[in-house]
Amino acid sequence: MAPETETILIVDDEDNVRKTFREWLEGANLGCAILTAADAESALVQANQQTIDLAILDWNLGAGNDGLQLLEDLTLFNPEMVAIMITGYAHEATPLDAMRMGVRDYLDKNQDLNRTTFLKAVSKQLDRIRPARRERHLHSELVAFRSAVEKILPLVKAAVALNDPVPLPAAVANLFQFLMRTTGARDGVLLVRSYEAERDPVEVSRVYDTAGQQLDITLAPFAHSLAGSVASLQRPCTLVDLDSNAGGVQLHPFEHGRKSLLAAPLSVAAGLQVVLELFDKADPQGKPDLAGFNEADRQIAVAVADFGAELLRQALTERQMQRMLFDAVAAALWASESVTQSLGQGQVRPEDPPPQAVMEQLREGLTGSAVDADATIRLAEAMRELAVRHGPAAVKYCTGMVESLRTLLDEAGGMGEVRP
Amino acid sequence: VSEHPRDLPTGAKTPGSPDVFEELFALLLPERLLSDPRANGEGVRVCLLDSGVERSLLRERARQRGQEMKPIEGCLFLAERNEPLADEGQQSSPHGTTVADIILTLAPQVRLFSADVFGPRGSCEVEVVCRAVRWAMDVWHCKMINLSLGVPEQRLQQIQRRAQLQRVIEEAYYRDVVVVAAAHNEHPLTRSYPAAFAPPLLSVDKQLFADPLQFAYLLREQIEFQAHGRGYLGPFAQEPATSWAAPHLTGIAARLLSLRPQLKPFEVKTLLYWLSLKSHEAR
Repeated sequence: MAPETETILIVDDEDNVRKTFREWLEGANLGCAILTAADAESALVQANQQTIDLAILDWNLGAGNDGLQLLEDLTLFNPEMVAIMITGYAHEATPLDAMRMGVRDYLDKNQDLNRTTFLKAVSKQLDRIRPARRERHLHSELVAFRSAVEKILPLVKAAVALNDPVPLPAAVANLFQFLMRTTGARDGVLLVRSYEAERDPVEVSRVYDTAGQQLDITLAPFAHSLAGSVASLQRPCTLVDLDSNAGGVQLHPFEHGRKSLLAAPLSVAAGLQVVLELFDKADPQGKPDLAGFNEADRQIAVAVADFGAELLRQALTERQMQRMLFDAVAAALWASESVTQSLGQGQVRPEDPPPQAVMEQLREGLTGSAVDADATIRLAEAMRELAVRHGPAAVKYCTGMVESLRTLLDEAGGMGEVRP
Repeated sequence: VSEHPRDLPTGAKTPGSPDVFEELFALLLPERLLSDPRANGEGVRVCLLDSGVERSLLRERARQRGQEMKPIEGCLFLAERNEPLADEGQQSSPHGTTVADIILTLAPQVRLFSADVFGPRGSCEVEVVCRAVRWAMDVWHCKMINLSLGVPEQRLQQIQRRAQLQRVIEEAYYRDVVVVAAAHNEHPLTRSYPAAFAPPLLSVDKQLFADPLQFAYLLREQIEFQAHGRGYLGPFAQEPATSWAAPHLTGIAARLLSLRPQLKPFEVKTLLYWLSLKSHEAR
């Protein structure tokens, strides 16, 4: 990132000259950073540490040092730097070489050097420097923008590579459909619990019904629940008459009154505990099977736990990919806002809303169910165009929209806390 | 060749008579050692590396048995912290409470220490287990450590991490600390560590016995012992599990240690081996 202001370096071996030049520059409020150096070595050290835009050099630096030689060395660090030479021996100058090395003006100590001529020369150079510098800054910002957008492409390609990921609710519903048909369960839930010490609240639990819909229920603490027990045992477990045999754990509202239970942990992602609970086994005629789930049901649950975990993992990965995509797009938008600011206020009208067509294009791109690489490139181009043509207002509008979509996605996916 | 007994080496067997070991062996009866009223775990400090314990539930269980529960000290071990946090007397999941209840059922006078290594996240790394084992030895000065946990062999492929775990188990052995580790529930299909480091510890598979004080020595794929695989407290305590078998052997070993606290791990293992043979004969 380029600095906000230009940097001027004064190099002169006479202390009072450096001091005077600095006072003149500071008094003129040119909006520049001012550095000073008494010799070539100090000047080169500073040039190594930061970008120098304008150097004001003494032709004779004393101790045999040559200002022109220093300029040649300085340009190795800052090829775009320009210089003003201060000399008492203008006739000794070699204009062609000096021009080649970036000397744009001369000031003769013995003749015309005073506050006015000095500041006039400096201002003249700054006026030349600033557009070129802004152009370089703009170029680097655009490179950053392209880089940010390009970073999302592997993610998008990876998302596409997943074999048609199933949306989370559909994944849960498919899982239950199979399990209920094979085990004779009459009902079931999927409990998802995540814990993050840095988050408030640290524990987030959600429960989904057999259709994959999230239930609005207050849940008991995971540490005191049946699901917590199953998750710690890491294998499917069965139980009959839950109200009588809860064994010191707190039952969730949907567990009360159940005659039988088959619960299986699903290993979906680190930091995420997922437990599938099937209730009330019935015989093929639909009558309650009071013996509960059997060993065969348990074996089915073992097999399904692996398959189901993969299914859920894919659903979560797809959701996570979209989230990362939006993060990358948001980063690119912020980068482009910086571009529009560097273009100058004269070229943008922040108060103007972006054209409807462009917004529609963006909205369509962001909310589309299928995200592929080509679409992302088009989307990125549209945003870049939007940023450059219509300025910060359009960019802010888009950023807000991305934020809203992300929130919407989190709510729809139901598992914003996942870190696979 | 003389066949007079005095001409035979000391302890050697006279044909048709029991040798010295058989004479000693005849004195080692499970009912004599394990059913001794003094074999109650008194004076034995046992650390439980698990998911924390719910003190209120255990206190209620002790009250039902007509006993008073000794205070249980505990800490929560987290991956991101070198020093453990104070335990608030609650479980992170019911697993640890079920395990603690088994030990207290068999050896009610042991002094329990709870190292909650799973914590609220419900998972832990080998490094945390190692840290907690050292804490049990250095700070709590425990004589026994129960590990109803393990990591499958395929998930501990890194030699360095496996060596790290083995080193701490061996360190316990050389410091006369008896470590009891549960085999994987799918053993022998799946082997897990640290149970598979069998020589320096007591490795336990699950089996159902009529009496929870019964156990067996049956070497199978590096796992040496079998103990009762059902618990008494918690919704899934009746599910046979190695997690419940390990604390049964811990409780049995704690009974032996309360009779002679300075027994070394190999002495405990030998006694258990002999007692298991007796138990087998009795059955």
